[in-house]
Amino acid sequence: MSKLVGKSIVKNYGKDKVLKNIDIEIETGKIYGLIGRNGVGKTTLLSILTAQNPATSGEVTLDGEPVWENEKCLDRMCYSRELSPVTIFGTNNIKVKEYLRTAKAFYKNWDQEYAEELIKLFNINKKKAVGKLSKGQLSAITIIIALASKAEITILDEPVAGLDVVAREQFYKLIIEEYAETGRTFIISTHIIEEAASLFEKVIILEDGQVAIEENTEDLLARAYRISGQDTIVDEATKDYKVFHPEVLGHNKVVTVLADEPVSNFDCRVQVEPVSLQNLFFAMCSEERKEA
Amino acid sequence: MLENLGEDKSIYIQISEMIEDEILRDILKEEEKVPSTTELSKFYKINPATAAKGINLLVDRDILYKKRGIGMFVQDGAKERIRESRRNSFYETYVKKIIGEAELIGISKEELKKMIDTEK
Repeated sequence: MSKLVGKSIVKNYGKDKVLKNIDIEIETGKIYGLIGRNGVGKTTLLSILTAQNPATSGEVTLDGEPVWENEKCLDRMCYSRELSPVTIFGTNNIKVKEYLRTAKAFYKNWDQEYAEELIKLFNINKKKAVGKLSKGQLSAITIIIALASKAEITILDEPVAGLDVVAREQFYKLIIEEYAETGRTFIISTHIIEEAASLFEKVIILEDGQVAIEENTEDLLARAYRISGQDTIVDEATKDYKVFHPEVLGHNKVVTVLADEPVSNFDCRVQVEPVSLQNLFFAMCSEERKEA
Repeated sequence: MLENLGEDKSIYIQISEMIEDEILRDILKEEEKVPSTTELSKFYKINPATAAKGINLLVDRDILYKKRGIGMFVQDGAKERIRESRRNSFYETYVKKIIGEAELIGISKEELKKMIDTEK
């Protein structure tokens, strides 16, 4: 098993401290989900991991070798970025066809047949200029390039952002098919957590420029609970745990608990329910806002 | 087995319970092949590792067994084993809940028993 490791990564844009000392370890052969609020530094982190953006300090290595300007490492990775419909010269006039030809030259494991298949599936007109594509079609192109790159480590930054529900379902299915067949590593950032959560074997939550969580998704959710009931009983039952996002309605209270390990003996007078990844993330973020 | 996955339980547990239900209802018969982890993960759009975890849970309990290079099959005697383990948890999962609700709304144990007796 290979490992992509980011160690003590710091990234400042001028005075703006975006990433504050990030340690991250991507094991190959897994699907990772990267979640975090807008502006938390997800794209910055992904571009640093793939050496498209230098870190202020810290180091990224693949199997122990620094990835920066290291062709051997970079050949194993694909970071398919969102296409821009405009360039500094105006509308992006590059045709889809030409764009794909560049990708083919760039990625050494490029699978042309697969790319053609995907172009048909997403109904893309290859003769169209990139600047004339809809938001959904632009997303589809980044997905096509990511999949057809056949890169060992493939990174998709908000791939479903512009896609309609049918195309999103298609995308999740494609990822699973490709993963089941090849065992390629995927790192996928998304805001549509609810739909994608069950795809992720591991989840990374960025918060305030740091890695708040890096864990197997099932293990994480197995120690998260929504606890509700009479306010005083809920307080008593949860006093030993990390509690997020308390809400009160009359005498009732509901909190999200993230324990260090699964708990089986909550006070039987409170309601104990599981928490979805989206709701856990929401509760954790709400907490942060309150403290600020 | 085509019901929606809910959020009330871990996905792998739901996968294993769905397969159990199929066996209980004779939709999946003993010695019959069950869907592969890839098929399950594609259908439910879940990580193949999660689907495999659900399947392995059943292998550990002698409900399914692996035929090398062919797939997972329902073990001989699986249905009876499932029935037994569900019988053991029946009180905790169902009866306790009914008694609790009955108490809350003032249905006596006698009335409850009568309801069960008259139910055909």
